[in-house]
Amino acid sequence: MQLKRKMGIGLILLVFVVSLSACAGVAPQAAAPGAAPVAGEAVTITWAFWGSPEERASHERVAAAFMEEHPEIKIDIWHQPWNDYFTKIQALWASGDPKVIPDVAFLWPTPQYAAQGVLENLDPYIEASGYDLNDYWPGLLESAKYQGSVYGLPRDIEVNIIYYNKDMFDAAGIPYPSEDWTWDDFLAVAEKLTQKDANGMTTVYALAAEGGKWPKWVNQNGGAIFDDYVNPSKCLLAEPASVGGIQFFADLMNNGYAMRPADLNQAGGDAAVFMSGQAAMILQNTSRVSAFNAAGMNYDVAPAPIPTGGKRWNGAGGAAWVMSSASDNKDAAWTFIQWLQSDGGGQTIYTQAGEIFPALQSVANSPAFMTDQPPANKQAIIIEASASDVGGFGYFPEWGELSGSIISPGLERIWAGEADPAGALADICAQVDQFLAERGYPK
Amino acid sequence: MRSIIAPRTGPPTRLSLPAQVGLHVILLLFSGVMLAPFLVMVVVSLIPNSAFLARDFSPENFSLQNYVRTFQVVPFGRYYFNSIVVSVSVTVLQILISSLAAFAFARLRFRGRDALFLFYLATLMIPFPVTLIPNFLIIKTLGWYDTYWALIVPGLFSVFSTFLLRQYYRSIPLDFDEAARMDGASSLRIWWQIIIPLSGPVLATLAIFVFQGAWNDFLWPLVVTTSEHMRTIPVGLAAFVGQYSTAWDLLMAGSVIALLPVLVIYILGQKWFVEGIALSGMGGR
Amino acid sequence: MTLRTPSRSLFRWRPDQQWEGYLFILPSFLGFLIFIVLAVLMSLGISFSSWGLTGFRGVAGPANYQQLWRDPVFWQAFGNTAFYIVTIVPMQLALGLAMAVGLNQAIRGVTIYRLIYFMPVVTTIVAGAIVFRLLLSTNGPVNQGLATLFSALDIPFTPPNWLGSSQFSKWSVVILTLWKNTGFTMVVYLAALQGVPKELYDAAHTDGANAWQRFRHVTLPLISPTTFFLFVFQMIGAFQLFTEPFVMTQGGPANSSLSVVQYIYLAAFRDIRMDKAAAMAWVLFVFIFAFTLLQNTMQKRWVYYESE
Repeated sequence: MQLKRKMGIGLILLVFVVSLSACAGVAPQAAAPGAAPVAGEAVTITWAFWGSPEERASHERVAAAFMEEHPEIKIDIWHQPWNDYFTKIQALWASGDPKVIPDVAFLWPTPQYAAQGVLENLDPYIEASGYDLNDYWPGLLESAKYQGSVYGLPRDIEVNIIYYNKDMFDAAGIPYPSEDWTWDDFLAVAEKLTQKDANGMTTVYALAAEGGKWPKWVNQNGGAIFDDYVNPSKCLLAEPASVGGIQFFADLMNNGYAMRPADLNQAGGDAAVFMSGQAAMILQNTSRVSAFNAAGMNYDVAPAPIPTGGKRWNGAGGAAWVMSSASDNKDAAWTFIQWLQSDGGGQTIYTQAGEIFPALQSVANSPAFMTDQPPANKQAIIIEASASDVGGFGYFPEWGELSGSIISPGLERIWAGEADPAGALADICAQVDQFLAERGYPK
Repeated sequence: MRSIIAPRTGPPTRLSLPAQVGLHVILLLFSGVMLAPFLVMVVVSLIPNSAFLARDFSPENFSLQNYVRTFQVVPFGRYYFNSIVVSVSVTVLQILISSLAAFAFARLRFRGRDALFLFYLATLMIPFPVTLIPNFLIIKTLGWYDTYWALIVPGLFSVFSTFLLRQYYRSIPLDFDEAARMDGASSLRIWWQIIIPLSGPVLATLAIFVFQGAWNDFLWPLVVTTSEHMRTIPVGLAAFVGQYSTAWDLLMAGSVIALLPVLVIYILGQKWFVEGIALSGMGGR
Repeated sequence: MTLRTPSRSLFRWRPDQQWEGYLFILPSFLGFLIFIVLAVLMSLGISFSSWGLTGFRGVAGPANYQQLWRDPVFWQAFGNTAFYIVTIVPMQLALGLAMAVGLNQAIRGVTIYRLIYFMPVVTTIVAGAIVFRLLLSTNGPVNQGLATLFSALDIPFTPPNWLGSSQFSKWSVVILTLWKNTGFTMVVYLAALQGVPKELYDAAHTDGANAWQRFRHVTLPLISPTTFFLFVFQMIGAFQLFTEPFVMTQGGPANSSLSVVQYIYLAAFRDIRMDKAAAMAWVLFVFIFAFTLLQNTMQKRWVYYESE
């Protein structure tokens, strides 16, 4: 009897142990990236990026090209679709385990992560290797700086231009846009391109533009988001110039010329509506070129129209390559980043793939970009890129939170036609100012 | 136990013919509303997106092409495997662990038993979001992030299951234990050979609940997995939505693939599902 | 529910049984200690500290709570959640009860109807959300159907933008949730209805009560414990709504469908504010706790127990 009881208790323990090991039994090898470094002389670097399957393919080509040039470094790829990427990479960093933390990662916005202490300050590496920062487009590096130091090297610069469907312009008998067209010219063109049904509902839109493109209109009109983009003390979106920019965009929607962003989203995005002829123009960065070329569309690009008395402006921003401060192969990681961001290295390969407009001016002016592929008017892109400047977003760590919970949702009410710009922007600014004060800005 | 299939209680009179017809019309209307989403799902999954957008439902458009494409881009087989491994492990082990504890709480005596049980009960009200973030941190500290451990182990300990089983175990007459102990049976033997066989319906009901919860859980697997091959069905499906936000043909095919086996199991075992709820006495009576 | 009290005579103090009891609860207790007790304590600690990607960064005191108090998005999310509770809970109870009453009649096909009504309950909510995104899109089947209906009635009609406008986005979430969960309510009610003794109806019938009076004065009071259970259960569920808005509307537009749990998720995993997220979870907990207590007190007024 005594024995039996002992056996019984042993069984309970067994159940517990089995219950734990059962999970181990079915678990395959640890799934974390880089968990099993390859034995051998090569240093292994884990490289994290997001992207569609097509984008992944070109990242893989870049990794292969690098490893050919640098056989002493092996690149392990860690890839996630865009909407999972940030959650997942945060989890890796939070683990604090150098074995799973990516050495080099594609990231946006850099300051938010630099403030968390997970990124390596690149200043010493740049200085030691004599890497040239002057080749970057104006204002671009600001987006990857934190407290004055460079924490990331932007891969590309988002250059937003107008894509237009030449067939639709021809059909409406409108001349193609010129380099110096104005908002008024744009409105006149939009009026002619828009088609409505008997109920006044638009069937063909002149423009499809994501809601997130608004900083262009604001800055062109002399408006601004903040007084200072690194250390803001005040929201300027309620100032007349800013309101004017937002009003222009909102009016395009309210008049039925531009698709409302929510509808655009449901219709499958700007590329889809542009290719299906539901919109004659889109305002977008250069990432759409390869899709339109593949579809054999008859299109070209033009600089965005600017208001009379306004200025040309392009938001200087682009996701950047960063190095983890917990990386255990920092020198190799820097070698890789430097190669990625060089003429003849990663920059050239991405540019040739038609996926990016390069962050380096030299690459933009090289044959890698100046191909005979459409769009014909590549000069339009160079013109916009040259007008790059800060002003599209904040360069402080809390920008993501501020824009995600206050600014974008506030603007969505305007895009949905539910709020009038002046009033809504005043509300937004009141909330932004309170947010800034609460987080101790200006510092 | 009452059967809810053939009502033996209830309103006294049979309905008149017009009333029956009227009732059927209403019930069919409800059925239509409940079934329409499934119908749309199946139809859209069988035609190309362009045909759906043009509302062109001519027969030559129908094919299984979307399913082929969906299987090419999404490893649903792997998602299924993960969901099954996780749900089955959680169900079996949670019930085992809860049952052992419930047995001790209900039928063994030890110092601090009642105080400990009260402590358990006190945590019953804590909503999941409160423990979400710390558990995420605990999982990472244990090095379990993105493994089956992370998906399974935190789901094994349920105060609710323990509570439910303890209530039931207390309702089993203690004479059974007494007699068994006279024959020299150990506590474990009493648990396994007397209590467990007597609690069949309760265990089955609980199993259905736990399995359902584990199978459909979304937030936790979303938070603790990262690799594609660790995703469960709901998480894999949501990631699929993110990538193909308006490719309705593929999305619907994916949804059908995700649902079909569960629906089949449900239809085959619907008596269990529905009666299980009735039997668990959730009506408070 | 009456429970047998263990007879004291059997459970004399048996020292040898003590440690056995501990062993039986050990697996459960270890997990309880780590994933519930430790987690709750950590959560409380995090909510009073500054906690970032790399962990603890300092003591914050009540700062996170103060920030929440002044955070309009948090209040908006709370308002949305309140909207979900006051719409979903009563509508689901009413619809579920109506279905159950319909099925509690002596007619053919009850099993089939019940099978159909319960089908959405076993459906993965993510798949449900995807289909409803399609059904409710601006030119989707629902709007097409409505447009046809209204034009047949010759009433002017602007198709609602279910997912893209702040007036309707919350309703989209409500519609999805009702579709998904009403079958569950129906089944629980059906079980309760079938427990109502036939004699009581006969008695009421003899007293000359019509169908509505019988329902109102016999059925409703007798199933009130079930109503109470469902009420509390669905309310706690509605407080913690996450997947429906997360997949269907992403909380938008303009945060108009953002739920509290979704905001907790965003704070923790988008804004890297574990501290703020933990504070929100505690505020949510306090609310759920208070409401459940309130329900429990109020139930004496309207819940009828047979044993009393």
